[in-house]
Amino acid sequence: MLVKEAPVIWNLLKGIVCVYKPAEITCENLRKALLAKICADLNNMECRSISERVVIEGNPLEKLTVNVVPNLADHPAVVGPRYLPDELPASWSNYLGWNTCGILLFGLREGTRTAKYLRENRPMRAYKLKGTLGKATDNGLASGKVVEKSTWKHVTKSHMEKLLSSIQSSHQKQMFQLCGVDLQSQTAYDLAVQGPIRPANSKVPLLYGIKCIEFTPPNFVIEVHCINENESYLTTFIHEIGTKLHSTAHCTALQCVRHSCFTLEDALLKKHFTLQNVLTNMEKCSIKLEENKDLLYQKSASLTSINTE
Amino acid sequence: MFRKAIYSGNFAKTLINNSFSNVAVITNKEVIPTNSNVDKSKEINSDLELKEKLEFEIHIEDLNEIDTYLKPTFNFASYINKSPILQEFFKLGVDLYKFEKNQDVAKFILSLNYENDVHKFVEFFNDLNISHESLGKIITKNPYILKENIEDLVVRINYLKCKKFTPEMITRIVESNPFWLSYTTQQIDQMLGFFQKHFTLKGDEVRSLTVTCPKLITFKERTVKVNTFAIHEEMGFSTEEVKGMLLKKPKLFMRDQRNVLKTFEYLHNEMNISLDQIVDEPGVLTCRCNRLRERHKFLKKLERDQFDPKKPMYVSLTTLVSSPDADFATEVAKSSVQIYNEFLKSI
Repeated sequence: MLVKEAPVIWNLLKGIVCVYKPAEITCENLRKALLAKICADLNNMECRSISERVVIEGNPLEKLTVNVVPNLADHPAVVGPRYLPDELPASWSNYLGWNTCGILLFGLREGTRTAKYLRENRPMRAYKLKGTLGKATDNGLASGKVVEKSTWKHVTKSHMEKLLSSIQSSHQKQMFQLCGVDLQSQTAYDLAVQGPIRPANSKVPLLYGIKCIEFTPPNFVIEVHCINENESYLTTFIHEIGTKLHSTAHCTALQCVRHSCFTLEDALLKKHFTLQNVLTNMEKCSIKLEENKDLLYQKSASLTSINTE
Repeated sequence: MFRKAIYSGNFAKTLINNSFSNVAVITNKEVIPTNSNVDKSKEINSDLELKEKLEFEIHIEDLNEIDTYLKPTFNFASYINKSPILQEFFKLGVDLYKFEKNQDVAKFILSLNYENDVHKFVEFFNDLNISHESLGKIITKNPYILKENIEDLVVRINYLKCKKFTPEMITRIVESNPFWLSYTTQQIDQMLGFFQKHFTLKGDEVRSLTVTCPKLITFKERTVKVNTFAIHEEMGFSTEEVKGMLLKKPKLFMRDQRNVLKTFEYLHNEMNISLDQIVDEPGVLTCRCNRLRERHKFLKKLERDQFDPKKPMYVSLTTLVSSPDADFATEVAKSSVQIYNEFLKSI
């Protein structure tokens, strides 16, 4: 790094960082790891030097000497390191569960506000869901206890696609119901012309596009574009697919492959958490957000196309 | 008396004694009338009174250090410029901010006097050949060592000497386990005895174990027992094998047994590694399961997951686990780091 002074870097540390969250680790722990690494790197740089204090010594009746000595109260060994993880505000803009891996956005310092706007604007996320037919578990995941077994030989790819497209259309219908318009009306048509609409409520999960991208029975991979989803919703979704195909299914992996304009390429792996990498990543993210201003300040309720390049 | 009223407590006393400059101050100066009409006896009396009064009125006081009270504080920073004892600790390289978490430690540290309480310990550790930096680290980790009696510490060192530990070994033990000297001779004897009995070790083996991992000896006995149970009963290693693993990788016995079991299950069930191979390389068991899984899956994808030493393209378990990602990707997997990183983002 060319800059050697920590305060300069500290002033640059504001914005969004895009990291890759592995499965079987909580967002909290990942946040802790990121902050600890950033602070350790900052402390290793040239920090603010120790302040000085004036000491007047000697006998007041005779001559007094005035000295300037370093103020020990300001030494890192006495007051502690200059940068502490607790003093670096950071918040995530999308929460991923324990079993989910994929893109996670952190807002650092002033970036926490950006993270909040991003979260409240409910951008679309894309997930890759890996599932296996034939077994159902109590928690819908591979780690759970097997509660049911069934045959899966009769399931073909066309069955799967038929089912997925029907689910997709029912979700599209639901979108208009949430808007409070009759499907047969002119207003519904006017809304539909503008493109897909976002839900106003943050509690209703909505699936916009569902696609089966790999089918090697008993394993299958589904790509889902959704808003307001959570881990348990997606696992029950896989379970539902299993039952509707007259079989059973459980989820083996959940991966968030895209979050609005952020893709896996932008994500920073946990082992790459260094100050330099974080800063470069932050810069890339800010450029992307600059290109897609709709992500932070929306003009209309309908979804707009996003520039991922 | 005046000073004591302001600064009660040892810390304040040391503070005053160490920087004493004499300033003459005369307080309550009164003009004493000298009356010639008073009779002799009265005169004598008043003379005496005057003498007493003058003695009482002229004080030799140090006003430089009379200051506001030292207010209650959350850290040492507000005290250090005035307190000689804190400054001495600072010179020793002690991280004072680490004491602030525990109030009792902070109070204890402030009540010490360098010349009387600390200096002998510094000399003691110097005699043990312990470097200046490690001394600071030892006190940072275990400040209560200064509470011990110095004769007791000599006895504890003598105990090690009589158990045929060389001076270099003793230095290493004290340096890497700051809490060692806080245990009494009986406790240490009982701990060493536990290891000797539990794993049927010889004298030399106990010594080498103590030197390679001094923290294990004073570690919670329960954890060691639970780990031994997991390795012996749940994983199915024989007593002899457990002993070999203890001497090769003592850290294994300080870990959470659930994590060790997880790693073992993956090694044995998914990677089909035999128990004998794990005994030869017990370091694999200390690896996190996630890391092992990532690397194994990568090798499996490249069809390089061959862990049998008798067949070609053999991958040793130690290199699989211990090398950093860059070396692993290029040397073990014969691929590149970029591909490995992409792979990590796909699972």
